[in-house]
Amino acid sequence: MEKTVEKTLVIQRYNPEQDQRPSQQRYQVPFDNSTSVLDALLYIQQSLDPSLAFRWSCRMAICGSCSVMVNGIPKLGCKTFLREYSGDLLLEPLAHFATEKDLVSDMTLFLQHLQAVKPYLIRQEQSAATTPATKPQPHKQTPKQLAKYRKFSSCINCGLCYAACPQFGLNPEFLGPAALTLAQRYNLDNRDQGKAERMPQLNGKNGVWGCTFVGFCSDVCPKHLDPAAAVNQGKVASATDFVIGLFKP
Amino acid sequence: MSEQHSPRRPYLAPLTASWWLKHRYYRFYMLREATVLPLLFFCGCLIAGFYSLQQGEQSWLNWLSFMAQPWVMALNALTFAASLFHAKTFFELFPRVMPLLPAPLMIAGQWLGTIAVAALLLLLLGGVL
Repeated sequence: MEKTVEKTLVIQRYNPEQDQRPSQQRYQVPFDNSTSVLDALLYIQQSLDPSLAFRWSCRMAICGSCSVMVNGIPKLGCKTFLREYSGDLLLEPLAHFATEKDLVSDMTLFLQHLQAVKPYLIRQEQSAATTPATKPQPHKQTPKQLAKYRKFSSCINCGLCYAACPQFGLNPEFLGPAALTLAQRYNLDNRDQGKAERMPQLNGKNGVWGCTFVGFCSDVCPKHLDPAAAVNQGKVASATDFVIGLFKP
Repeated sequence: MSEQHSPRRPYLAPLTASWWLKHRYYRFYMLREATVLPLLFFCGCLIAGFYSLQQGEQSWLNWLSFMAQPWVMALNALTFAASLFHAKTFFELFPRVMPLLPAPLMIAGQWLGTIAVAALLLLLLGGVL
């Protein structure tokens, strides 16, 4: 198909070295059925305006870099197509994050929140792997045990759920959907023994109880993880942890 | 380079008080949360009813006539509708929080439970009214 039809992209521009606040700029972009928002941004950068800044890498919805707001909704640029929109497209950097330049957001907070929940396998006992006398032993997992956490394990750290979460917007200290989902993912993993280390984070005021189940995070998740479900399952875990704590010496 | 001379100057858009008006999803959420407002009125009515019952027959009859006023009936009808709406959203969210059975089964089970409890209450208290 010939790229003869054009679409207007209104893009939020912000240059920290010159601008006091962001402004908008319009671009005409030729498109066909296969033109994604990321393709359109690359076209603008290469043919119309090399000063436009945005993040991207894989083009196939796995790296989570090209997150932007399209008409106010958090989207992956590579997974969103111009054909899906009848009118103009308004592209803005991710909501609730500070903007570094144009469509580039400062993801520091997001990364700090991810780190805070220790999203990796923690083993308490001295595993056989550490004693030189024995060979390293693999940790076994049945398909049933895998199924428990699998659907929460495909997060690509795109940050769309944070841009959808008003609680994170109101309180940036709230750990947020992706971090709490990751915590739940590792807590549900039978190979992991780090639940006790994660629970204080989840139980705190910026943990699972900061969520009010708006549910928009699950709607925008490009990997259909259902982070809202994970966070609220975390509330059950947190409540159980509290009750168990009452009976511990 | 010191932080002072860094060209970085991240811009954070302020979150206005009207954030929830911006998107259909947020408006739906606020509507769900707002169902508690008419419920507050009904709870007030209920507490007043118990109090008047304790105060004696005349007080109880006064309360009954208060409850029969059209505007009170209308507000309580709104409360009933709002509570049913809240129940619907809650029942649909619940299987995601505690995935014990397939979601449609759990939703049907919760509605059946609601109907059973409502029927039981009507049976027990029906004679009073």
